[in-house]
Amino acid sequence: MHPESGGSVATPKIRLQHVSKRFASGPAAVPTLHNVDLSIHEGDFVTLIGPSGCGKSTLFNILVGLVPPDEGGALFIDGKQERPDHLLGRVAFMPQRDMLLPWRTVLDNAILAAEIDGVARAEARERARRSLDRFGLNGFEHYYPGQLSGGMRQRVALMRTFMFDREIMLLDEPFGALDALTRALMQRWLLEVWEGARRTVLFITHDIEEAIFLGDRVLVMSARPGHIKLDIPVRLPRPRSPDVVTSPEFVAIKRDLLSAVEDESMKAFAAMNRAVVEQAGG
Amino acid sequence: MDAPAVRARLLPQLLALPALLLLWEASVRGLAVSPDKLPAPSTVLATIWAAHTIFAQAVGTTLYEAVLGLVAGTLFGVASGVLFSRFRLLERMFLPYFVASQAVPIIAFGAIIILWFGNGVVSKALIAFYLSFFPVAVNTLVGIHGVPAEQVGLLRTFGASPLTILLRLQLPAALPAIFTAVRLGASLALVGAIVGEWFGATRGLGVVLLTAMYEYRMTYLWAGILLTGLTGVALFVVIAALQRRIAWWQVET
Repeated sequence: MHPESGGSVATPKIRLQHVSKRFASGPAAVPTLHNVDLSIHEGDFVTLIGPSGCGKSTLFNILVGLVPPDEGGALFIDGKQERPDHLLGRVAFMPQRDMLLPWRTVLDNAILAAEIDGVARAEARERARRSLDRFGLNGFEHYYPGQLSGGMRQRVALMRTFMFDREIMLLDEPFGALDALTRALMQRWLLEVWEGARRTVLFITHDIEEAIFLGDRVLVMSARPGHIKLDIPVRLPRPRSPDVVTSPEFVAIKRDLLSAVEDESMKAFAAMNRAVVEQAGG
Repeated sequence: MDAPAVRARLLPQLLALPALLLLWEASVRGLAVSPDKLPAPSTVLATIWAAHTIFAQAVGTTLYEAVLGLVAGTLFGVASGVLFSRFRLLERMFLPYFVASQAVPIIAFGAIIILWFGNGVVSKALIAFYLSFFPVAVNTLVGIHGVPAEQVGLLRTFGASPLTILLRLQLPAALPAIFTAVRLGASLALVGAIVGEWFGATRGLGVVLLTAMYEYRMTYLWAGILLTGLTGVALFVVIAALQRRIAWWQVET
């Protein structure tokens, strides 16, 4: 499927054109990303799944401006081509680990990005206090990260990401380390928050059900060299209730995704084995 | 740690001190040890009390020199650690000399420092500085390097400048390591001040110890030893308290 078959005539919020990335040089080095083409429209919640090591995190690092893509690729935001190093500070990024600062309280961790962005501390704190409830952190504003559970820490990190007021949000497996029950609660909660403050979201996950439950579209990345292999729209009505996972449409999408992801995982696994054999032999 | 926990840990330590003094007192009296070898603690304490203005001045002088050197050493150590972390070239150029400087015992050029800077406070503070800056510089560097690259990357995605990253992330993250070094530096600074006084001084604990030795005044010597020990402990306690206030968090792995 062509990534731009969404049918919308509006300018996409984000567009990637032939974005590639090769870290090591030399003919033997397998590129991490190869010709990633991708468009995401304003206000869409797009989820991205793929086998381990397919370059999902590299793609994110390119989108936030931490890693420059190789020559030949182009990156557009609102239809305007952007220089890779101009992306820093433009996109709200939440990495896999919460990376809260142990010496800052919940409130001061939540305002970190906004504060660095130039919002006065008192004003940022006031704004954060008003959002505490929405992020389920009421009464915890003076706690330190060391005193919080994993789910709460993740909510503080999400709050920090939301308070960094940007139109585009990239979330890299935010719920990956949580237990299944907490994860399900957090997914529903995230959708609620997102529907209250609509942003363009790109969300990486390992979990197929999570990808369908959250997304307007699910993208499947191939094994290395990574590119977008499959782009499936999810036309389930919102707001989504937890039992949507048993609906026939959900199950049908899941079936398609499972086989695609499994194909790619097998390829990734085979490539890994080859590398091990070559290393042992060489 | 909260106050009751500190008290629970401190109480046995505080009780041990009078117990040790009592044991010392009893041994000296019971075994009839000559006061020329080891005087009883009661005698030592009486000596301190009898000449308390002199001893207070000695403690004050040495503490002043040591703290002056320690503060300067800490500031210089943190500054050079930050510069080394920011500029690899500076680290490659100067860190080996920092290491080499520590391999030369201060005794080797203590005399020069006195001749250059006189027998006042400055020369002792300089020696204390010389001994204390190195651990601080190394631990600042190690602490800054210990911040994960992804964490620095995250702040960059917030649009943070290198200076903001240093002030909001790297320096605070290095604080526990810096304090550990300052604690080590404090005892080194005290040694530095006393050694400096041995090379030439008119007042200070080093002077007390040296005169007592030359004049064979055993009680006076023990008074000096006891006060030096207490000064070191006091310095350590103050820095540990500062650390608990300022860099109290557990380092996350």
